[in-house]
Amino acid sequence: MIGCYDFCAHYEWTFEWLRQQGGDELVQRFWKEAIGEDSQVHASALIKEKAFAGMEEYWGKTLAEEEAGYVATKGEEVFRLDMYDCPSKGFLISNGLQQFHDYCDHCIGWIGPVMKAAGFRIDHEHNHCGKCWWEFRRASDPEAGSPPGNIAGVNDVRIDPAWKSPDVTLDVFRRATAVQEKLERNV
Amino acid sequence: MISSSALPYRDRKSVGSADFYFAINSTFRFIRDVLGRHALEAYWTSLGREYLAPVSQYWKNGGLEAIANYWNEFFKAEPGAEFEISSRSDAVELEVKVCPAIKHLRDGGRTITPEFCQHCYFVTEAAAQQAGFTIRVQGGNGCCRQTFFSNGVAASPQQLDNIQLAK
Repeated sequence: MIGCYDFCAHYEWTFEWLRQQGGDELVQRFWKEAIGEDSQVHASALIKEKAFAGMEEYWGKTLAEEEAGYVATKGEEVFRLDMYDCPSKGFLISNGLQQFHDYCDHCIGWIGPVMKAAGFRIDHEHNHCGKCWWEFRRASDPEAGSPPGNIAGVNDVRIDPAWKSPDVTLDVFRRATAVQEKLERNV
Repeated sequence: MISSSALPYRDRKSVGSADFYFAINSTFRFIRDVLGRHALEAYWTSLGREYLAPVSQYWKNGGLEAIANYWNEFFKAEPGAEFEISSRSDAVELEVKVCPAIKHLRDGGRTITPEFCQHCYFVTEAAAQQAGFTIRVQGGNGCCRQTFFSNGVAASPQQLDNIQLAK
């Protein structure tokens, strides 16, 4: 049996197996269809039904179960997550595991299409070291991603000295709903 | 905290997050639907041969006792599992009384990929073969018996009909 104690390890291994079968396109299709539309259908339903409150409810439960180090901030027109200690990437780092070229892409790979279907879009950055931030707004909202500290105050992960340490590579998404919309990779 | 010499990876949690069973179930369905049944078996075999290579090595070094240790530690880290392990001189028998994955999928109202229980044979057989062992699975759909033999022991071939489709 393959189980859930080491799920992140065989999940990441599976990305590379799929890439070898059908390239990055197949991996991206897997994130969208298998994870976003099937496995995480409960997230999709919550967000469609309750909007920002649904996001708070979904991530409140799942990140508590995974024992993540994070802060969630819910405003009237935005839901923000600051992830200091991603349990998923953290498991891979602490166990020295890497098969696929960018594990962190899987999150926006399934969350992006879920948000698009529910009428939201995403500003997001991840640093490949277990830290990331997300801002979800309605697709019609013209507001840009917020400057550091503006929404989450001292809890903004971008204030953490480790956010942009010399060995960090940042991936940037603006008003995105798909992993293919990655704007830049800042080294 | 998961920190056992029988398991290849460590985690700060004492058990895994059960919702990951949703993703495992969906992964099997996706591969079967998009790439075909043959690819699903190839995926399971690669998982056993490649991903579980550290487990195979542990079994190879430690024999049947290591197999018993591994499954004991493994199922202690799976939420909701009920199981019993018994050792004989020529085999280890793992009785899964409550499969944590099938239980969680049912509790969550999920459509279970019918072939779900077959992964236990294909994945584990691939890992076991590299260590000089073989597995036979009987049952499924929520509870099963998995028996590990040394390759030298005559065991009748695995019949997939002996593994129930899950629902």
